[in-house]
Amino acid sequence: MIEREKNHDRLDAPASPDRRRVLAGLGLAGGVMVSGLAQAATTADTDAHVTDAPISDHMREAQPFHGLHQAGIVTARPANGMIATFDVLATTKEDLVRLFKTLNERIVFLTTGGLPPQLDPRYPPSDSGILGPVVVPDNLTMTVSLGSSMFDDRFGLKNFKPARLSRMTGSPNDALEPELCHGDISVQICSNTADVNIHALRDLVKNMPDLLYLRWKQEGSVPVMPRKPGAPAESARNFLGFRDGSANPNSSDAALMDEIVWVQPGKDEPAWTHYGSYQAVRIIRNFVERWDRTPLHEQQQIIGRVKATGAPFHGKTEHDVPDYASDPEGKATPVDAHIRLANPRTAQTQKNLILRRPFNYSNGVSKAGQLEMGLLFICYQADLEKGFITVQKRLDGEPLEEYLKPVGGGFFFTLPGVRDKKDYLGRPLLAAAGLA
Amino acid sequence: MKIRHSAAMLTLALGLMAGTAHAAVSPSELVGPVTDYKIYVTENLDELVKDTKAFTDAVKAGDLAKAKALYGASRVHYEGIEPIAELFSDLDGSIDSRADDHEKKEQDPGFTGFHRIEYGLFVTGSTDGLTPFADKLMSDVLDLQKRVAGLTFPPEKVVGGAAALLEEVASSKISGEEDRYAHTDLFDFQANIDGAKKIFELFRPLIEKSDKAFVKKVAANFATVDKILAKYKTADGYEYYDKVTEADRKALSGPVNTLAEDLSKMRGKLGLN
Ligand code: HEM
Ligand SMILES: [Cu+2]
Repeated sequence: MIEREKNHDRLDAPASPDRRRVLAGLGLAGGVMVSGLAQAATTADTDAHVTDAPISDHMREAQPFHGLHQAGIVTARPANGMIATFDVLATTKEDLVRLFKTLNERIVFLTTGGLPPQLDPRYPPSDSGILGPVVVPDNLTMTVSLGSSMFDDRFGLKNFKPARLSRMTGSPNDALEPELCHGDISVQICSNTADVNIHALRDLVKNMPDLLYLRWKQEGSVPVMPRKPGAPAESARNFLGFRDGSANPNSSDAALMDEIVWVQPGKDEPAWTHYGSYQAVRIIRNFVERWDRTPLHEQQQIIGRVKATGAPFHGKTEHDVPDYASDPEGKATPVDAHIRLANPRTAQTQKNLILRRPFNYSNGVSKAGQLEMGLLFICYQADLEKGFITVQKRLDGEPLEEYLKPVGGGFFFTLPGVRDKKDYLGRPLLAAAGLA
Repeated sequence: MKIRHSAAMLTLALGLMAGTAHAAVSPSELVGPVTDYKIYVTENLDELVKDTKAFTDAVKAGDLAKAKALYGASRVHYEGIEPIAELFSDLDGSIDSRADDHEKKEQDPGFTGFHRIEYGLFVTGSTDGLTPFADKLMSDVLDLQKRVAGLTFPPEKVVGGAAALLEEVASSKISGEEDRYAHTDLFDFQANIDGAKKIFELFRPLIEKSDKAFVKKVAANFATVDKILAKYKTADGYEYYDKVTEADRKALSGPVNTLAEDLSKMRGKLGLN
């Protein structure tokens, strides 16, 4: 049976031969609306509606698209993120090239913002319109990565696979759901608002139906914090109530990022991968009811940090560094605490550092009436094996597992950045394989 | 309040674009294809009445094997003209709703029609208690035939029907949710596609004049879908949907969704609201 058609408003009006004038009119109207919003923020509400749009001053914030690396990795994490993975429907090499060029073009438009093409109202509109007639970037980044399945026999990319890209395999505690795993392409979509991310996803779905098949998606968010002038930045909390990200490496230290995050020339990786990265994604459900019924002391022992401040047991603030050398038996920080297993902070484990950029997710209710929520874990590293895979192996069997169930995710290779307007996403790979 | 005023201005600005150029198709040119389409629908309804009669007779006679064998094909002439049938939403609901559309699912007294009988035949495995549903289905189908006979076909509904059929395929045929008990989805799948292709073919000459590339692309995607579906044809119908490989489901999704996008532009191309 067919969904019944809704009565839609019709925009019938007399003909106007001058399209340019119309567009100018639209731009003007859009401008008025923006200042209208600003106005509403400052004047007392004499005419208030509960459904008046929430106000934000950040909608014009934009992240540069062109660069040595893709945006969305060392970019400060905004409040909302999503991973969507796709399978490639293209079957020819020509269509594969068209896929990357189209993806590039959509991302350039979405991250820059502007007026979408205006069509005769007898056509479906070119844009979903959920951000209004003028698309705002709102800090959007869209980061594109490839799964190992892209390097199968379909496109002749077999010999160009990044050296450490593999298909994610289950860890002992996993209960992976096949429909939430893997994909030919992952797109990490991040911005200030969930709606901007959804707008971006719908744009891809609408513009690339013959090329991409949506496999799964997971959205998440992190709680925003008030600005505290003069004080160091604080890490947001995850759904266990702990600060998450405290010990993350300094993303403004370019040399450090070259070491930890970005694939560099001079190693055994194919040249096209240089300045890209490996992305590991995990959808990790948290058993939050159970966690909330766990004594605070035990929670802190399991994580290895103080819940209120995020400080390690040796320090006062979350930025203090735990000292394991003077605590070999784990009297202060248990040896099986999450942070201690994840990063034992020895000379040998320095090479296992990763850059985490997770979001909290909340999906609904399980069959047992429990909350389906957890962590959309995303991390980046220059070496997937030394990074995520090794760290996860150390974490296997950790006490925190009693509260976790990884259900999905995948491993991907994040493409190098797009250098300039002549370049496009994936071009180095396609060129190496003789496709572009 | 300011926001609302500017929103009104915006509507105005958008409204001004209504008259921008599109294919010069005059209303009189639409008369032919719309008339032809009405003939097509009428013929389909005649067939539907015949098929439903044979199907419901088998159900009422308690001939389980025959009823099951007839089920898949009995719906074909409904699925092909669904955009017209659904103009009568009460009948579409009682003839073709699925258990999901009802609060108490399969047990809901409002769950009637083809899929209720399908549930009895394929899940309960018996014709017991199905006679009232069979009688109701037959009378609903006859009622539909009568109502359509008296209907003036609005051109925008006819043209829009092509896209509607593809939406139907994209949302529930690809996933195998239509005939979830009998798994005869491929009958419906092909019928939806055929129904959409009929509409496309009827209006094709009008669009071809102004947009050859569009027509070519749409025809090619129809051909791709037909080619994949043809792999699953059997002597007396189609394989069960569970037989459709994951690779083919995915291969169908590209052309189906692209057809849905493209056919949604047909009204615009013909200057219809
Ligand atoms: C839902 C699952 C997880 C939760 C709730 C969680 C929670 C935390 C918390 C609260 C911290 C301490 C603050 C910080 O430095 O960020 C932390 C640190 C860390 N976590 Fe996790 N984590 C989870 C999964 C993972 C996974 C899957 C990995 C990697 C395989 C991982 C690797 C790390 C690392 C490397 C650190 C920093 C340790 C350090 O350098 O001191 N975590 N995690
Ligand atoms: Cu149907």
